[in-house]
Amino acid sequence: MSGLIANESMKIYSRKLTWILLLLLVAVTIGASVLGKMNTKSSEDWRAEAIQLAHQYEERLKITELSPALRADAENKLKIAEYRLENDIPTSPNNPWSALLTFSGLMEMVIIFAIVIAADMVAGEYTAGTMKLLLIRPHSRTKILLSKYIAVSLFAVVMLALLVVFGYATNALFYGLGDIHTTDLFLNRQGQIVQQNVLMQVIKMYGLSIFPVMGYVTLAFAVSTILRNSALAVGISLFIMIVGNSMIEATAKMEGLKYLPFANSDISLYIFHLPARPEMTLGFSISVLFAYIFALTFISWMVFKKRDVSI
Amino acid sequence: MDQMPVVQLRHATKRIGSKNIVNDLSFDIPAGEVFGFLGPNGAGKTTTIRMMVGLIKISQGDILIKGQSITKNFNKAIQNVGAIVENPDLYKYLTGYQNLKHYARMVSGVTKARISEIVEIVGLKDRIHDKVKTYSLGMRQRLGIAQALLHSPSLLILDEPTNGLDPAGIHELRNYLKRLAHEEGVAVFVSSHLLSEMELMCDRVGVLQAGKLVSIQNIKDFVHKGGASRVCVTVEPAQTEQAKRLIASLNKITLPEENPGQLLIQMNKDEIPAVNRLLMDAGIQVYSIQMQEQTLEDKFLEITEDKK
Ligand SMILES: Nc1ncnc2c1ncn2[C@@H]1O[C@H](COP(=O)(O)OP(=O)(O)OP(=O)(O)O)[C@@H](O)[C@H]1O
Ligand SMILES: [Mg+2]
Repeated sequence: MSGLIANESMKIYSRKLTWILLLLLVAVTIGASVLGKMNTKSSEDWRAEAIQLAHQYEERLKITELSPALRADAENKLKIAEYRLENDIPTSPNNPWSALLTFSGLMEMVIIFAIVIAADMVAGEYTAGTMKLLLIRPHSRTKILLSKYIAVSLFAVVMLALLVVFGYATNALFYGLGDIHTTDLFLNRQGQIVQQNVLMQVIKMYGLSIFPVMGYVTLAFAVSTILRNSALAVGISLFIMIVGNSMIEATAKMEGLKYLPFANSDISLYIFHLPARPEMTLGFSISVLFAYIFALTFISWMVFKKRDVSI
Repeated sequence: MDQMPVVQLRHATKRIGSKNIVNDLSFDIPAGEVFGFLGPNGAGKTTTIRMMVGLIKISQGDILIKGQSITKNFNKAIQNVGAIVENPDLYKYLTGYQNLKHYARMVSGVTKARISEIVEIVGLKDRIHDKVKTYSLGMRQRLGIAQALLHSPSLLILDEPTNGLDPAGIHELRNYLKRLAHEEGVAVFVSSHLLSEMELMCDRVGVLQAGKLVSIQNIKDFVHKGGASRVCVTVEPAQTEQAKRLIASLNKITLPEENPGQLLIQMNKDEIPAVNRLLMDAGIQVYSIQMQEQTLEDKFLEITEDKK
């Protein structure tokens, strides 16, 4: 089995496309860190800053046509700013951990790149005609498919790791290595304000993001296996991702939508207490994603195991 | 000695829709034999090979490799097989060597030395570290043969292996396959359109026509059986008519000639001296007498035409 995974990994990392994607990921991560730095002003007086922030969010909340997600975000931030002033808790100093928490948008890029590679894992072998020589070895089709799935999952993990490592390294250049005991104010599940270790939040956010990433990897992999067409697999997966993102807000109004993967695919929503529906929890989201991953894997496996290979 | 045939086809049938693409094939291939699989385009050769290596399901019947069913005992059966199916499609973005390493990792016991040995055998030593996308068709074919031979299989299945090879390459391959079979006891199953190739390389041929096996016999019998050969006798053009009359007196059939002075006669090899003597005694100047052996080509066309 390890030989099979080594083979699949060799095939992933021997392609130019893979390296272009990895370079792009690193470049964008560094770029985002630089932009983040340019937008942070290090103020001396945290109290004045908190007052100004609170005022800003109050103003924003007065806008009637504000979307529910933005409204919730503003409410949360206002709550934290007021709590800070009341309880005399200064803002935590600028540090690389807090910066990493603002990068949740880059997770989309990891997902897109993972989709591109996953979509080619099975379909690519059919298109190139290499599937037949791959399958006439003393290994069951189940093992062959599993080795491909594991290899592309590892690739996704590598991308997440690169995102964290380069994100941290760049920000460490700006703000220093950062104290691992740094805490900040967050809202917990019940909406209460609590002090939490920032590093732990980073680990939680990036660690649990493996579920949504794997959700999309599995989707692209399944379409690739079933339709045997890489372009279609990328297209369908991206389409579902984009349509899905626009459905997060709709989930607030229609309860049934919470059982679709979309509103469950952004772990940062739970870090910042912005669930699509109040009753949705981190555990719920992960369970839903897991169910989809399981179902899609099962379908791919059934199709791959049974299919006549005549191309 | 293990007397069990390496491959046993038992009523192997492939049905797609309502059509039997391969219909009730039953034959054995013993160790040490080069078996040629002939048939016109669309006869079902590749389909048969796909069933033999488990790429497609067998609708009816079974195929055993070293006694193991390819459907029920896939891993045990397939580990004895090396194959090229249709085209030698390899990973273009990998080097030749990486391709071989890839396949070596999928079986046990293929060492680095073995890979080098195979690279040497197929004559790719100079280019093995280049990307496969820079290879010519013949070089890809060689690499395809290399991956099939890597794990020293007891059954080698090659679908049109000479496709794209240069004459020297074909010659080498032919000799190598014969040596593999006759000296190392490998069963070699080759499908090809190059009938003259088969004649030089195979011990036995099976002819497939519209999914059915219409003939299976030793190559010698296959070529020579079935009546008289044609003999071409060249005489002095002015004496053509006289020679014709003489031959007619022997009750031999003279076919219409192509050139003046040329006689095409339907007769057996052992009758040539008698004819020669007759013509000489009559004072006819004979310039040459040539056996025109019926080639596999003719035979093949004859068989496949017959069954239509
Ligand atoms: N998946 C399929 N669906 C329907 N028909 C098929 C399929 N695969 C093959 N066939 C048909 O089966 C027949 C045999 O095809 P096959 O590829 O085995 O022929 P072949 O003898 O290898 O021909 P060639 O000499 O051209 O390589 C053809 O008529 C082909 O159209
Ligand atoms: Mg064919």
